[in-house]
Amino acid sequence: MNFAIVVHGAPYSSEACLSALKFAKAVLASGHSINRVFFYHDGVHTANNQIAPPQDEAPVSEQWQEFGVGNNIELIACIASCLRRGILDETEADRYEKSGSNLAPGFTISGLGQLIDASINADRVVTFGV
Amino acid sequence: MILHTINKVSALGLCSDLIAEDDKVILLEDGVYLGLQSLPFPIFAIRQDVDARGLGDRLTEQTELIDYSVFVHLSSEADKVCSWF
Amino acid sequence: MSTILFVFSRPPHGSINAQEGLDALLMGSAFTTCSVLFVGDGLMQLASGQSTDDLGTKNFSLGFGALKDYGVTRIACSKPDLVARGLNKDDFLIEVESLNAAGMQALIHDHDKVLNF
Repeated sequence: MNFAIVVHGAPYSSEACLSALKFAKAVLASGHSINRVFFYHDGVHTANNQIAPPQDEAPVSEQWQEFGVGNNIELIACIASCLRRGILDETEADRYEKSGSNLAPGFTISGLGQLIDASINADRVVTFGV
Repeated sequence: MILHTINKVSALGLCSDLIAEDDKVILLEDGVYLGLQSLPFPIFAIRQDVDARGLGDRLTEQTELIDYSVFVHLSSEADKVCSWF
Repeated sequence: MSTILFVFSRPPHGSINAQEGLDALLMGSAFTTCSVLFVGDGLMQLASGQSTDDLGTKNFSLGFGALKDYGVTRIACSKPDLVARGLNKDDFLIEVESLNAAGMQALIHDHDKVLNF
Protein backbone atom coordinates (compact mmCIF):
# COMPACT_ATOMS: atom_id res chain seq x y z
CA MET A 1 0.00 0.00 0.00
CA ASN A 2 1.20 3.48 -0.89
CA PHE A 3 0.76 6.39 1.51
CA ALA A 4 0.72 10.17 1.12
CA ILE A 5 1.46 11.99 4.36
CA VAL A 6 0.52 15.62 4.98
CA VAL A 7 2.10 17.63 7.80
CA HIS A 8 0.55 20.88 8.98
CA GLY A 9 2.55 21.54 12.14
CA ALA A 10 5.95 23.08 12.80
CA PRO A 11 8.51 21.26 14.94
CA TYR A 12 7.99 21.98 18.65
CA SER A 13 5.00 24.29 18.13
CA SER A 14 2.95 21.20 17.43
CA GLU A 15 3.33 17.48 17.93
CA ALA A 16 2.07 16.88 14.39
CA CYS A 17 5.56 17.06 12.93
CA LEU A 18 6.85 14.33 15.26
CA SER A 19 3.74 12.13 14.99
CA ALA A 20 3.94 12.24 11.20
CA LEU A 21 7.58 11.13 11.31
CA LYS A 22 6.74 8.18 13.57
CA PHE A 23 3.92 7.23 11.22
CA ALA A 24 6.15 7.56 8.17
CA LYS A 25 8.78 5.29 9.75
CA ALA A 26 6.11 2.75 10.66
CA VAL A 27 4.81 2.81 7.07
CA LEU A 28 8.20 1.74 5.73
CA ALA A 29 8.83 -0.71 8.58
CA SER A 30 5.51 -2.37 7.74
CA GLY A 31 6.66 -2.93 4.17
CA HIS A 32 4.47 -0.24 2.62
CA SER A 33 5.65 2.70 0.53
CA ILE A 34 5.38 6.46 0.73
CA ASN A 35 4.29 8.48 -2.30
CA ARG A 36 5.56 11.72 -0.81
CA VAL A 37 5.35 13.77 2.36
CA PHE A 38 3.81 17.21 1.84
CA PHE A 39 4.45 19.95 4.35
CA TYR A 40 1.77 22.66 4.40
CA HIS A 41 0.77 25.56 6.65
CA ASP A 42 3.31 25.82 9.49
CA GLY A 43 4.58 22.35 8.61
CA VAL A 44 6.99 24.02 6.19
CA HIS A 45 9.06 25.21 9.17
CA THR A 46 10.31 21.60 9.33
CA ALA A 47 12.31 22.43 6.21
CA ASN A 48 14.27 25.26 7.85
CA ASN A 49 17.98 24.44 7.98
CA GLN A 50 18.59 27.01 10.73
CA ILE A 51 16.88 24.98 13.47
CA ALA A 52 19.30 24.34 16.37
CA PRO A 53 17.43 22.75 19.26
CA PRO A 54 19.02 22.09 22.67
CA GLN A 55 20.96 18.84 22.75
CA ASP A 56 18.49 17.17 25.09
CA GLU A 57 15.54 17.84 22.75
CA ALA A 58 14.53 15.71 19.78
CA PRO A 59 16.03 17.20 16.59
CA VAL A 60 12.81 16.65 14.62
CA SER A 61 13.79 18.62 11.53
CA GLU A 62 17.10 16.78 11.31
CA GLN A 63 15.32 13.46 11.81
CA TRP A 64 13.01 14.26 8.89
CA GLN A 65 16.04 15.14 6.74
CA GLU A 66 17.73 11.83 7.60
CA PHE A 67 14.49 9.94 6.95
CA GLY A 68 13.92 11.56 3.58
CA VAL A 69 17.46 11.26 2.34
CA GLY A 70 18.08 7.83 3.84
CA ASN A 71 14.94 6.31 2.31
CA ASN A 72 14.77 8.35 -0.88
CA ILE A 73 11.39 9.80 0.07
CA GLU A 74 10.21 13.09 -1.44
CA LEU A 75 9.77 15.74 1.24
CA ILE A 76 7.92 18.63 -0.39
CA ALA A 77 7.38 22.00 1.28
CA CYS A 78 4.57 24.03 -0.30
CA ILE A 79 5.99 27.10 -2.01
CA ALA A 80 3.18 29.48 -1.02
CA SER A 81 3.38 28.41 2.63
CA CYS A 82 7.18 28.66 2.49
CA LEU A 83 7.23 32.18 1.10
CA ARG A 84 4.81 33.37 3.79
CA ARG A 85 6.97 31.85 6.50
CA GLY A 86 10.45 32.65 5.23
CA ILE A 87 11.60 29.23 4.09
CA LEU A 88 13.50 29.81 0.88
CA ASP A 89 15.65 27.82 -1.49
CA GLU A 90 18.31 29.64 -3.51
CA THR A 91 15.97 30.31 -6.42
CA GLU A 92 13.32 31.94 -4.27
CA ALA A 93 15.89 33.83 -2.18
CA ASP A 94 17.28 35.33 -5.42
CA ARG A 95 13.83 36.01 -6.82
CA TYR A 96 12.73 37.93 -3.75
CA GLU A 97 16.18 39.43 -3.11
CA LYS A 98 16.43 37.96 0.35
CA SER A 99 19.71 37.72 2.25
CA GLY A 100 19.97 33.95 2.10
CA SER A 101 18.35 30.61 1.55
CA ASN A 102 17.55 28.23 4.38
CA LEU A 103 16.00 25.15 2.85
CA ALA A 104 17.21 22.01 4.63
CA PRO A 105 18.77 19.14 2.68
CA GLY A 106 16.31 16.50 1.63
CA PHE A 107 13.48 19.00 1.15
CA THR A 108 12.20 20.49 -2.09
CA ILE A 109 9.99 23.55 -2.45
CA SER A 110 7.12 22.94 -4.83
CA GLY A 111 3.46 23.70 -5.50
CA LEU A 112 0.14 22.52 -4.15
CA GLY A 113 -0.19 20.36 -7.23
CA GLN A 114 2.20 17.93 -5.51
CA LEU A 115 -0.26 17.55 -2.62
CA ILE A 116 -3.14 16.89 -4.98
CA ASP A 117 -1.10 14.53 -7.16
CA ALA A 118 -0.04 12.53 -4.11
CA SER A 119 -3.60 12.48 -2.76
CA ILE A 120 -4.93 11.14 -6.05
CA ASN A 121 -2.25 8.54 -6.66
CA ALA A 122 -1.58 7.19 -3.18
CA ASP A 123 -3.81 4.49 -1.74
CA ARG A 124 -4.20 6.36 1.52
CA VAL A 125 -3.69 9.98 2.62
CA VAL A 126 -3.04 10.67 6.29
CA THR A 127 -2.96 14.26 7.57
CA PHE A 128 -1.23 15.33 10.75
CA GLY A 129 -2.92 18.62 11.62
CA VAL A 130 -2.60 21.25 14.27
CA MET B 1 -14.88 1.41 7.24
CA ILE B 2 -13.35 4.82 7.86
CA LEU B 3 -10.44 5.43 10.21
CA HIS B 4 -10.81 8.69 12.14
CA THR B 5 -7.88 10.25 13.97
CA ILE B 6 -8.43 12.81 16.73
CA ASN B 7 -5.52 14.84 18.11
CA LYS B 8 -7.22 17.13 20.60
CA VAL B 9 -10.24 16.94 22.89
CA SER B 10 -12.06 19.82 21.19
CA ALA B 11 -11.92 18.02 17.84
CA LEU B 12 -14.41 15.42 19.07
CA GLY B 13 -17.17 17.96 18.57
CA LEU B 14 -16.34 18.10 14.86
CA CYS B 15 -16.67 14.41 14.21
CA SER B 16 -18.70 12.61 16.85
CA ASP B 17 -21.81 12.62 14.60
CA LEU B 18 -19.78 11.33 11.67
CA ILE B 19 -18.37 8.21 13.29
CA ALA B 20 -20.36 5.25 11.99
CA GLU B 21 -20.79 1.97 13.83
CA ASP B 22 -18.11 0.10 11.95
CA ASP B 23 -15.63 2.99 11.83
CA LYS B 24 -12.48 3.01 13.92
CA VAL B 25 -11.05 5.89 15.96
CA ILE B 26 -7.44 6.55 16.91
CA LEU B 27 -6.57 9.11 19.58
CA LEU B 28 -3.14 10.65 19.28
CA GLU B 29 -1.25 13.61 20.74
CA ASP B 30 -3.52 15.60 23.07
CA GLY B 31 -6.47 13.58 21.74
CA VAL B 32 -5.51 10.77 24.13
CA TYR B 33 -7.12 12.79 26.94
CA LEU B 34 -10.46 11.70 25.42
CA GLY B 35 -9.58 8.28 26.76
CA LEU B 36 -10.42 9.60 30.22
CA GLN B 37 -14.07 9.86 29.16
CA SER B 38 -16.56 7.18 28.36
CA LEU B 39 -17.21 7.42 24.61
CA PRO B 40 -19.97 5.80 22.58
CA PHE B 41 -17.46 4.00 20.37
CA PRO B 42 -14.35 1.88 20.91
CA ILE B 43 -11.07 3.77 20.70
CA PHE B 44 -7.43 3.13 20.05
CA ALA B 45 -4.85 5.44 21.62
CA ILE B 46 -1.21 5.88 20.69
CA ARG B 47 0.75 4.38 23.57
CA GLN B 48 3.67 6.82 23.35
CA ASP B 49 1.29 9.76 23.71
CA VAL B 50 -0.54 8.08 26.61
CA ASP B 51 2.75 7.33 28.41
CA ALA B 52 4.12 10.83 27.81
CA ARG B 53 1.07 12.25 29.54
CA GLY B 54 1.08 9.81 32.47
CA LEU B 55 -2.33 8.45 31.53
CA GLY B 56 -1.51 4.75 31.45
CA ASP B 57 -3.57 3.79 34.52
CA ARG B 58 -6.21 6.40 34.07
CA LEU B 59 -7.86 5.59 30.74
CA THR B 60 -11.20 3.85 30.41
CA GLU B 61 -11.21 0.12 29.72
CA GLN B 62 -12.57 0.71 26.22
CA THR B 63 -9.27 2.39 25.24
CA GLU B 64 -6.90 0.01 23.50
CA LEU B 65 -3.28 1.15 23.45
CA ILE B 66 -1.50 0.76 20.13
CA ASP B 67 1.76 1.72 18.51
CA TYR B 68 2.34 3.28 15.11
CA SER B 69 2.58 -0.06 13.30
CA VAL B 70 -1.04 -0.75 14.28
CA PHE B 71 -1.96 2.79 13.18
CA VAL B 72 -0.47 1.96 9.77
CA HIS B 73 -2.31 -1.37 9.68
CA LEU B 74 -5.65 0.26 10.57
CA SER B 75 -5.04 2.91 7.88
CA SER B 76 -4.52 0.25 5.24
CA GLU B 77 -7.60 -1.73 6.37
CA ALA B 78 -9.82 1.35 6.23
CA ASP B 79 -11.32 2.72 3.02
CA LYS B 80 -9.91 6.13 3.89
CA VAL B 81 -8.53 8.14 6.79
CA CYS B 82 -10.22 11.28 8.15
CA SER B 83 -8.10 13.44 10.45
CA TRP B 84 -9.80 15.71 12.98
CA PHE B 85 -7.84 18.49 14.65
CA MET C 1 -9.19 9.08 -10.85
CA SER C 2 -9.54 9.48 -7.09
CA THR C 3 -12.09 12.02 -5.96
CA ILE C 4 -11.29 14.24 -2.98
CA LEU C 5 -13.51 15.66 -0.26
CA PHE C 6 -12.07 18.73 1.43
CA VAL C 7 -13.25 19.24 5.00
CA PHE C 8 -12.86 22.74 6.39
CA SER C 9 -13.17 23.18 10.16
CA ARG C 10 -11.31 26.44 10.86
CA PRO C 11 -12.80 29.93 11.04
CA PRO C 12 -11.36 32.54 8.67
CA HIS C 13 -8.83 35.24 9.48
CA GLY C 14 -7.70 34.00 12.90
CA SER C 15 -4.97 32.15 11.05
CA ILE C 16 -3.99 31.71 7.42
CA ASN C 17 -5.09 28.08 7.57
CA ALA C 18 -8.60 28.62 6.20
CA GLN C 19 -7.24 30.60 3.25
CA GLU C 20 -4.60 27.98 2.53
CA GLY C 21 -7.33 25.33 2.68
CA LEU C 22 -9.26 27.15 -0.05
CA ASP C 23 -6.07 27.37 -2.13
CA ALA C 24 -5.73 23.59 -1.87
CA LEU C 25 -9.37 23.07 -2.87
CA LEU C 26 -9.01 25.28 -5.94
CA MET C 27 -5.85 23.42 -6.94
CA GLY C 28 -7.56 20.09 -6.33
CA SER C 29 -10.47 20.99 -8.57
CA ALA C 30 -8.02 21.56 -11.43
CA PHE C 31 -6.93 17.92 -11.17
CA THR C 32 -9.95 15.87 -10.21
CA THR C 33 -13.52 15.83 -8.94
CA CYS C 34 -13.60 17.62 -5.58
CA SER C 35 -16.27 18.54 -3.08
CA VAL C 36 -16.11 20.53 0.11
CA LEU C 37 -17.74 20.11 3.51
CA PHE C 38 -17.71 22.90 6.10
CA VAL C 39 -17.99 21.79 9.72
CA GLY C 40 -17.72 23.45 13.12
CA ASP C 41 -16.32 26.96 13.00
CA GLY C 42 -15.37 26.28 9.38
CA LEU C 43 -18.93 27.34 8.52
CA MET C 44 -17.92 30.90 9.34
CA GLN C 45 -15.66 30.97 6.27
CA LEU C 46 -18.88 31.31 4.27
CA ALA C 47 -20.39 34.19 6.24
CA SER C 48 -21.51 37.01 3.99
CA GLY C 49 -20.41 40.57 4.62
CA GLN C 50 -16.79 39.85 5.50
CA SER C 51 -14.73 43.04 5.17
CA THR C 52 -11.00 43.00 5.78
CA ASP C 53 -10.14 46.49 4.49
CA ASP C 54 -9.45 47.94 7.92
CA LEU C 55 -7.76 44.76 9.16
CA GLY C 56 -5.48 44.99 6.15
CA THR C 57 -5.60 41.29 5.31
CA LYS C 58 -6.83 39.47 2.24
CA ASN C 59 -10.57 38.87 1.98
CA PHE C 60 -10.19 35.38 0.57
CA SER C 61 -13.92 34.70 1.10
CA LEU C 62 -14.40 36.28 -2.34
CA GLY C 63 -12.79 33.12 -3.72
CA PHE C 64 -15.77 30.99 -2.69
CA GLY C 65 -17.77 32.57 -5.49
CA ALA C 66 -15.49 30.74 -7.95
CA LEU C 67 -16.01 27.24 -6.58
CA LYS C 68 -18.74 26.35 -9.09
CA ASP C 69 -16.68 27.74 -11.97
CA TYR C 70 -13.74 25.62 -10.82
CA GLY C 71 -16.00 22.60 -11.01
CA VAL C 72 -16.30 21.84 -7.32
CA THR C 73 -19.08 19.30 -7.35
CA ARG C 74 -20.77 19.57 -3.99
CA ILE C 75 -20.55 22.41 -1.49
CA ALA C 76 -22.02 21.33 1.80
CA CYS C 77 -22.10 22.24 5.46
CA SER C 78 -23.09 20.54 8.68
CA LYS C 79 -26.72 21.27 9.49
CA PRO C 80 -26.29 20.62 13.23
CA ASP C 81 -23.35 23.03 13.34
CA LEU C 82 -25.35 25.61 11.36
CA VAL C 83 -28.24 25.39 13.81
CA ALA C 84 -25.93 25.43 16.84
CA ARG C 85 -24.56 28.78 15.65
CA GLY C 86 -28.00 30.27 15.11
CA LEU C 87 -27.31 30.59 11.39
CA ASN C 88 -29.17 29.65 8.28
CA LYS C 89 -28.14 29.36 4.65
CA ASP C 90 -29.15 32.99 4.00
CA ASP C 91 -26.15 34.02 6.09
CA PHE C 92 -23.81 32.55 3.51
CA LEU C 93 -22.02 34.05 0.50
CA ILE C 94 -22.86 31.13 -1.76
CA GLU C 95 -25.42 28.39 -2.08
CA VAL C 96 -24.60 25.52 0.25
CA GLU C 97 -26.33 22.20 0.93
CA SER C 98 -26.87 21.64 4.63
CA LEU C 99 -26.49 18.02 5.62
CA ASN C 100 -27.43 16.03 8.66
CA ALA C 101 -25.08 13.40 10.05
CA ALA C 102 -26.22 10.70 7.61
CA GLY C 103 -25.78 13.08 4.69
CA MET C 104 -22.28 14.02 5.80
CA GLN C 105 -21.34 10.36 6.30
CA ALA C 106 -22.61 9.60 2.80
CA LEU C 107 -20.60 12.53 1.38
CA ILE C 108 -17.45 11.19 3.01
CA HIS C 109 -18.18 7.70 1.67
CA ASP C 110 -18.79 9.04 -1.82
CA HIS C 111 -15.22 10.34 -2.15
CA ASP C 112 -12.03 8.31 -2.35
CA LYS C 113 -9.85 10.56 -0.22
CA VAL C 114 -10.43 13.18 2.49
CA LEU C 115 -8.19 16.20 3.04
CA ASN C 116 -8.87 17.98 6.31
CA PHE C 117 -7.96 21.62 6.83
